[in-house]
Amino acid sequence: MRVTDLTLGLLTLLGGIAIYLSAINFHAIPGQDYGAGTMPRAIAFVTGLVGVFIITKAVMAGERLPGLQLAEWTRSGSAVLRMLAVLGLIVAYIVVSPVVGFLPTAFCVMLVAMLILGVRIPTAIIVSAVTSVAIQQSFGKLLLVPLPRSDFLNFFW
Amino acid sequence: MSIVIEAANLVFQPYVLLVIFGAAAFGMFVGAIPGLTATMATALLVPVTFFMDPVPAIATIVTATAMAIFAGDIPGTLLRMPGTPASAAYVQDAYAMTQQGRPEAALGASLVFSSIGGIFGTLVLITASPVLAEIALKFSSFEYFWLVVLGLSCAVFISPGSPARGLIALFIGLFAATVGLDNPAAVPRYTFGSVEMMGGVQFIPAMIGLFAVSEVIRAFIKRASDVRPPAAMSKSIFRQQATNLVTYPVQALRGSILGTAIGALPGAGADIAAWISYAVSKKFSKTPEKFGTGHVEGLVEAGASNNGAMSGAWIPALVFGIPGDSITAIVIGVLYIKGINPGPMVFITQPEMIYAVFIVFLLANLIMLPLGWIAIKGARHVLSIPQKVLMPVILMFCMVGSFAINNSVFGIGLMLIFGIIGFLMEENDIPIAPAILGLVLGPMLEQNFVTSMIKSDGSFLAFFERPIAAGLGLFSIAIWAIPLVLWLLHRRSARQNLT
Repeated sequence: MRVTDLTLGLLTLLGGIAIYLSAINFHAIPGQDYGAGTMPRAIAFVTGLVGVFIITKAVMAGERLPGLQLAEWTRSGSAVLRMLAVLGLIVAYIVVSPVVGFLPTAFCVMLVAMLILGVRIPTAIIVSAVTSVAIQQSFGKLLLVPLPRSDFLNFFW
Repeated sequence: MSIVIEAANLVFQPYVLLVIFGAAAFGMFVGAIPGLTATMATALLVPVTFFMDPVPAIATIVTATAMAIFAGDIPGTLLRMPGTPASAAYVQDAYAMTQQGRPEAALGASLVFSSIGGIFGTLVLITASPVLAEIALKFSSFEYFWLVVLGLSCAVFISPGSPARGLIALFIGLFAATVGLDNPAAVPRYTFGSVEMMGGVQFIPAMIGLFAVSEVIRAFIKRASDVRPPAAMSKSIFRQQATNLVTYPVQALRGSILGTAIGALPGAGADIAAWISYAVSKKFSKTPEKFGTGHVEGLVEAGASNNGAMSGAWIPALVFGIPGDSITAIVIGVLYIKGINPGPMVFITQPEMIYAVFIVFLLANLIMLPLGWIAIKGARHVLSIPQKVLMPVILMFCMVGSFAINNSVFGIGLMLIFGIIGFLMEENDIPIAPAILGLVLGPMLEQNFVTSMIKSDGSFLAFFERPIAAGLGLFSIAIWAIPLVLWLLHRRSARQNLT
């Protein structure tokens, strides 16, 4: 998913304007002219300049209309689904792990990910199980990271 | 001389040496896990040091830190998941070398030149601490502002592709750094009412997202089974580095000097040092076009600079008790607990302790070589695992590493967002690395800029009134102006040729 230079320049310019507008209401340090809005406004100003520079270069190179070039992989339905699946697995971990606990969630996420990539089922089950327990032991026990616990798998902690 | 012998007696005890080995293994383990940092390794060791005498306590922290900083290069080289912002400076070259079937060459260069940089920094620490610390303390907000601008400019210019795209990446990072309460007026910015957003965007989840998650997404799109793991090299790690040492002695020395000097500035540290060193290496290289394609030259210079800066950060810490970075801040606390009060008097009242610390530094950087060799030999087997099995495991490490920063799934959410941003950036040839440095140095840039503007009553001329600030400022401006002038001259001559 690649945008043309003209589109990139326009997006950058719009980004700069948006940052500037959002920073208008940030207060200064009492009694001073500078404060929370200074840095975002400086970023907005230079971002806008970069946007104008890219637009100018694109127009000089002959671009007239903004556009979007779709990458080769976007034409393959299965590739798009696999990309959405990996994002979905991360969201699922965020939602499910605090409720169900680390071990079952990590096992399921890795298992599904491996099956999507075509790993054979027995291999996927063994690797997912061993890795989940290894991470739980190293992070949870050795490094004392409070990974979400599972009530029914308490003996691992 | 008797003080040195007394200090050596304190260090060369079986118990202390055993502690050093244990700490080295621990540092290597923590540093090699994506998402865990040298600072985390240091913090985890603090409770352990309560039960130790001063020398083994300091030895534990020094050794673990040195190992963890080197070990951060391992996931960066093998999996494109840099362990520290400093290793992000040369991750492009290191990962490209892995893809060319030369992971051991990349890791070997990191190891050997990290050790050289660390030893050089320690020698400077021993011989010139007070002088360097005096100079470092002359840096005010004006000098720090220009130093950060210099670091950020280097990040833009060393990135592959056009500087305009590098600037877009930089401003994505700088904008992300504005999120939260950590600003001069302590006003919540872009938090949308979320308490967790008030803490700002932590760079570890962002870095994992930008580098690693974007790579995982790409592997899923390509269906990782199609990706062939690169062949492992069998050539000796150290023999290759002897060749590098003969080929790039100037680069190794320059990286060590620059790293130590920048590391000695409180708050600057290894992150800026590695980026500036990489840029300097590219600028003075005979083959700058090879940078970013798997060329070892930048690794040599930035690797030496990285660990040189780590030793350099101890200069203000020991001489004045001023921490150079988060690690030395923790260490100063440990020193106080152990009855060693850092400051000029410690060199007079407890010289044997200080010399013992120096000996530990040298030992830690020497022990890094055999232990690093073992770690490299072990870690390269990761590459023989099929990608379709490895990618889901990496994804899980990414999530746990992001979680471990604040012990909250908020970090995983950040990782996901930055993963998508990183993927889209790379699809559009926008380099990732400047965004990381923008995120890391954004708060420092803002603080020093606003402080300087208040001090100077809004006058930009004040940024050039102090000699060091003027030098750094003119150098930074020259970095931007010279390519622009050359481009304009080139266009003019091309137009004249046409007419």
